[in-house]
Amino acid sequence: MLEMYKFETNQLLEQLEQLIINSEKSNCYSQEAINEIFRIMHTIKGSSAMMLFNGISTLAHSIEDLFFYLRESKPENVDYIKLSDLVLSCTDFIKEELSKIERGIEPDGNPDESVNIIKAYLSELKGDGGSNAIHENIGEKNQKDADKKQKYFITHSLSDNSEKTPYKAVIYFEEGCEMENIRAFSVMHSLKNFVQDIKSEPEDIIENEESTQFIRENGFKMQFYSDRAYEEIENLLNETLFLKKLELEVVDKTDEANTNKKKPVIDLESDRPNMAEAIRPEKEKEKEQSNKSLLQNFISVNVNKLDKLMDLVGELVISEAMVTSNPDLKGLNLENFNKAASQLKKITGELQDIVMSIRMVPLSATFHKMNRVVRDMCKKLDKDVELEILGEATEVDKNIIENISDTLMHLIRNALDHGIETREERIKKGKSHKGKITLEARNEGGEVIIIVKDDGRGLNREKILQKALDHGLIQDTGREISDREIFSMIFLPGFSTKENVTEFSGRGVGMDVVSNNIEKIGGVVNVDSIVGEGTTMTIRIPLTLAIIDGMNIRVSNSTYTIPITSIKESFRVKEDELITDPDGNEMIMVRGDCYPIVRIHKLFNIKDSVSNINEGITIMVESEMNTVCLFADELLGEQQVVVKALPQYIKKVNGIAGCTLLGEGTISLILDIAALVKIK
Amino acid sequence: MASVLIVDDAAFMRTSLKLMLEKNGFTVVGEADNGATAVQKYLELNPNIVTMDITMPVLDGIEATKKIKEVDPKAKVIIVSAMGQESYVRDAVVAGAKNFIVKPFKEEHVLKVLNSL
Repeated sequence: MLEMYKFETNQLLEQLEQLIINSEKSNCYSQEAINEIFRIMHTIKGSSAMMLFNGISTLAHSIEDLFFYLRESKPENVDYIKLSDLVLSCTDFIKEELSKIERGIEPDGNPDESVNIIKAYLSELKGDGGSNAIHENIGEKNQKDADKKQKYFITHSLSDNSEKTPYKAVIYFEEGCEMENIRAFSVMHSLKNFVQDIKSEPEDIIENEESTQFIRENGFKMQFYSDRAYEEIENLLNETLFLKKLELEVVDKTDEANTNKKKPVIDLESDRPNMAEAIRPEKEKEKEQSNKSLLQNFISVNVNKLDKLMDLVGELVISEAMVTSNPDLKGLNLENFNKAASQLKKITGELQDIVMSIRMVPLSATFHKMNRVVRDMCKKLDKDVELEILGEATEVDKNIIENISDTLMHLIRNALDHGIETREERIKKGKSHKGKITLEARNEGGEVIIIVKDDGRGLNREKILQKALDHGLIQDTGREISDREIFSMIFLPGFSTKENVTEFSGRGVGMDVVSNNIEKIGGVVNVDSIVGEGTTMTIRIPLTLAIIDGMNIRVSNSTYTIPITSIKESFRVKEDELITDPDGNEMIMVRGDCYPIVRIHKLFNIKDSVSNINEGITIMVESEMNTVCLFADELLGEQQVVVKALPQYIKKVNGIAGCTLLGEGTISLILDIAALVKIK
Repeated sequence: MASVLIVDDAAFMRTSLKLMLEKNGFTVVGEADNGATAVQKYLELNPNIVTMDITMPVLDGIEATKKIKEVDPKAKVIIVSAMGQESYVRDAVVAGAKNFIVKPFKEEHVLKVLNSL
């Protein structure tokens, strides 16, 4: 239940933020938006109260009240910017509480401050000068409503009561049954066909907030005339739910007249205008919305189940390989078996694709979250920046989405804070005063590329280099360093070019977290920058992490797998092509470029392997623009493999990304190409 | 045992109510997340009882109650409402709702109201 609550509330909050930011952009809150916000807050309030998260519920309730007022009275003096700030600060509070719940901590935040601000704002709206129009409005509406309502009320016939018996009834409800006033109303409503001239105390049972309290303390008192027998009336009233006590008596006619004089009991008839003040939902608007509603054929599934399904499909892929390339089948002529096997292979392939696609989620929600980040920062920093979102429909694995959100937020904050110049600076440089940040996603091969681009001042090559040297992050070797290498230094731990730390970004702890986070999901990040024109951060993430196309290679008795995407070519090297530098490092010249050779048997200390360079095979692999040649005994063939993490009892081995199970049941280690190119 | 159609736009609410009802022997025959679907499902499933939220997209609970009462005057509709919606509940009662439950609801209250029908 808690999971569901969290999921639904988070979803609603995101929807809400989107609504507010869109409304703010168009500089007005449409009636639909207000309705929608009201509904969202209403739902959050209800669910939170069910879960006993009272803080959230109270806050949601106060916003609900605010939007209720906006919806019904349509005041014209609303400061929409203030309103947006107010509601956004409340969503932040709720998010904070939700994250506490997530971490298993009691959500103990106190919403009182926010609630008071909202209440103050609401009364400001209500009491403000422009309210005349509102009152007129309400008045007009009341009149209409009153006309509509009339039929609900019991017709008042003063004429012929002489035949009928006057009754007096007092109803007490059970404690804690809530909404006593409506229960009282229901009682009157159910009586209306049997009795006449009904009068009640308290009078305005619905509108008067104190009526509930009054009924709780004193009971609900009614007087009416009826031609029905005492028992019949009693039975009727006894059907009332949550009835604690009923006092019903026939009133002496003279007595009744007296009480009428003494007690200012107001009859329902005169109560009508009061009743009408209760504001009614705007049906027309809601109908308007109905066109927009889409039939959704979605179900929500627990992610754990999907993960499990994914694992099982992975196992299935392995088992399929185990059966179809079973060593026992070698040398047999199995025509029918092969036919069946290829059918099986086709189906497992399709199944795998489907399971993958289930886990794929569009980036749009994550991207649109950034609107909020940009908005808040623009306000605080007094900059004018537009966020352009491209390719939001691009889909990535759910795991990636979860990990990418913070990273993107960080990059965008950085771009806004450090990248984009102040308005004056931009105008001086002849740029538009409005900065622009582009957030783009697209598919490219087996990867998703996410680009964060700003048109700000760009990175200062010299400054970065100097800083890196000062901090001892690199050694001055005197060799030429490429721009890319220098720019990537901003991802080193403990690096920050900005002297002043701001609220949003930069204590220099950020950027290395960014690169770590991206590496964690198997991605890489690159920086390009032109001074004065802007910076582009390019993140490349593999589409999926779990199943890859791999090339199996053999070194002595061991099998290794190289992800196909990182292989450029493979070839056999003749001994005289081998270049050895004075340190004993081997290299090879291919088409004019020199590449280092990594002998896998040396790297992992494997005995009895091919050591003669012209007997084995050399495979050129690339990662992040770096290229090395791996030397192995032979290529075994291409296969889809399921990536499994190394068991925990094996300590992390540099150069190994994970392991996989092959068809014959042997284990193959998956080489971590990104790490291997760095070893050299 | 009585069959119930649960109408609420919040999946969370539907599920809490469903679990509560099923635990106590009611059969939840369907769920709807807005008033329009509710009317449609009512015709389709003909449940003994409908639990109806008020604030919903497309068609609100009061209108849905009216529509259901139109097609079946004997329909038993229970309003599930939050505190602060008194005037809506009143409208719903006028529209023909049999009774109401106040959110956050307690099991005993829910059962008392449903069993009274």
